[in-house]
Amino acid sequence: MLRINQSVLEEIQAHMRETYPHECCGLIIGGVEGEARVAATSRRCGNLNTERAADRYELDPKDMLAAQRELDGGPWDIIGIYHSHPDHPSRPSQTDLNHAWPGWSYMIGSVDKGVIASVQSWELDPAGAKFEEETLDVES
Amino acid sequence: MSVNVKIPTPLRTLTAGKGEVEVEAATVEEAFQKLNAEYSGLGDRIFDESGQVRRFINVFVNEDNIKDKDNLATAIRSGDTISILPSIAGGC
Repeated sequence: MLRINQSVLEEIQAHMRETYPHECCGLIIGGVEGEARVAATSRRCGNLNTERAADRYELDPKDMLAAQRELDGGPWDIIGIYHSHPDHPSRPSQTDLNHAWPGWSYMIGSVDKGVIASVQSWELDPAGAKFEEETLDVES
Repeated sequence: MSVNVKIPTPLRTLTAGKGEVEVEAATVEEAFQKLNAEYSGLGDRIFDESGQVRRFINVFVNEDNIKDKDNLATAIRSGDTISILPSIAGGC
């Protein structure tokens, strides 16, 4: 389960809308409470794949490094990744699966002609062979 | 040289949950070899069959990507921080 406050979700959705028709990416930051990853904030990151930004993303590792440095010693950590699918469903693709890592939530937003159509969250199954949808618990 | 190595969440199952470990080494390669000796399986996630860092792994020494320095031969100094960062990518 990924638990997220509506305001944090709106930050992420704003990023997705602003970057349409290109894919955006970023980090979900927070903690773990029992079985749930709980988002406290998000952090926009750069997409290094400028040639295929319409359907590919590569999160700038320098942005990830900077985020990790800021989080070191504090209560939060990187708990997930978000990215958008312009004019595509919010389900993980084979490309997403090929690059996925265990232990994180993967939030995907479908942006249909500039409008958020759906947002879903996913995580790798224990075998790491496929994505399983996880509950996205949005708190108002 | 005593350095801190930052372990990302996806690899912490191999380091008993530790997000940071300390190691004595003179190069990045030596640091990883020592870590693999202590945490079995970690080397398989970092190195490919040719002994190079896997394409889906980024390694930084402080602010520098080792790809911009001397790769695994990059020298480290006492107090340096080695950060292992999974490459994050995907798409429609």
